[in-house]
Amino acid sequence: MNRLLLLVALLGLLPAHLVARGTYQTPDEFLTGVFDGQVPGPRVLWLTGERKAAAKKILGHSYPSLRVRYWMRDARSAWILEEIGKDMPITFGVVIENGRLAQIKVLVFRESRGAEIRHPFFTEQFEGAALDRELALDRPIDGISGATLSVRAMKKIAALALYLDTQAQLQHVTPSP
Amino acid sequence: MSRHHRRKHRFKLRSFYIWHRYMGITAAAFMVLVAVTGVFMNHTERLGVDDSFVDDDWILDWYGIQTPDNMTSFRVGDRFVTRMGKHLYLDLNEFEGRYRELTGAAKLTDMLVVAVDDSILLLTPEGELVERLQAEDGVPAAMQRIGVDAAGDLVVEGAYQLYTPDSDFLRWQAWDGDRSRIRWAQAEALPATLQQALQRHYRGEALPLARVLADLHTGRFFGRFGPWLIDLSALLLLLLSLSGSWMWYKRRR
Repeated sequence: MNRLLLLVALLGLLPAHLVARGTYQTPDEFLTGVFDGQVPGPRVLWLTGERKAAAKKILGHSYPSLRVRYWMRDARSAWILEEIGKDMPITFGVVIENGRLAQIKVLVFRESRGAEIRHPFFTEQFEGAALDRELALDRPIDGISGATLSVRAMKKIAALALYLDTQAQLQHVTPSP
Repeated sequence: MSRHHRRKHRFKLRSFYIWHRYMGITAAAFMVLVAVTGVFMNHTERLGVDDSFVDDDWILDWYGIQTPDNMTSFRVGDRFVTRMGKHLYLDLNEFEGRYRELTGAAKLTDMLVVAVDDSILLLTPEGELVERLQAEDGVPAAMQRIGVDAAGDLVVEGAYQLYTPDSDFLRWQAWDGDRSRIRWAQAEALPATLQQALQRHYRGEALPLARVLADLHTGRFFGRFGPWLIDLSALLLLLLSLSGSWMWYKRRR
């Protein structure tokens, strides 16, 4: 018992960033949860032409790859997207339903600071958000002090997923076999 | 004050002035260095210091920066995919990220495929990243080698069997065919000119200018005793301010 208490005490002394880094949910687990265990086949959306320009406008830089994988059933789509917080990419899982953001989660956090954005008290602000004409979120999102860059990354990814969903609804590229 | 005392007093002041001058000259050399590097460090973004690297050979040698010995290359058409240390290149263009192991690279009809670590990078023929596929995207675990079959499709050898993706790399399935007709990717030596250019490129991105400026500023650039030299020049500055004030006060009197 004493050893257990000592271990707990030592864990409490660990630097916050060592605790913050990690995989909170694997992409597979995320998708299984989103589609109640019946995950549809993946599809891909190419980020070329206008889409590439729009993604660049939303992110402030080009998306690192030319195509993005997504999963869709009826009006619900799920996206696994990455954006750099300060130095390292953060992996987000985003669900869009009927053109509005239904859920956003941090799946893998690799930065040393800013992991507070994974908490529901923060992510709940995004629920129901849509895109305005300027390709920005249609509502303000309260920041978290000390996590400015991670907050910014999540806002960008939320907007990007909403944009990509509109594109995916318009044109289903390469349906799964 | 007698004439003797005044002469002694002038001599003392003159001697102090000479010391003051020598201290000033000695400290000045270091202060110019500290001041110039300090200004650069204060405006790194505006002056483009953040994105700059030192490519001067003697400075790189001074820092002991050498190109790593472990280099693996695969030919894809008329280009080469190379891992040098933890860096991955298509010819001289470096990919984002750090990589431990390059398993192979192959050229398909309209795409380049690079198997690196546990991932597969899909590239346009121009080298732009199309997608990075990982285990959750169906990439076989423990890739041993990659190749192209007679139909021009990708074949990946996993731990126990061969796999091939569909045309969009969305799903993977076991590959069953004539193994003798697979052209496996083979590592090969880089042409000497490309290797030299790559080594220069690698060294040219190994040492950020900001690091050299910071080392010059703190004296670490000059080795173990460098910081002590900077401390000494700071001490001289302190003495200069005291001696200067003292002389000014004495002259006024």
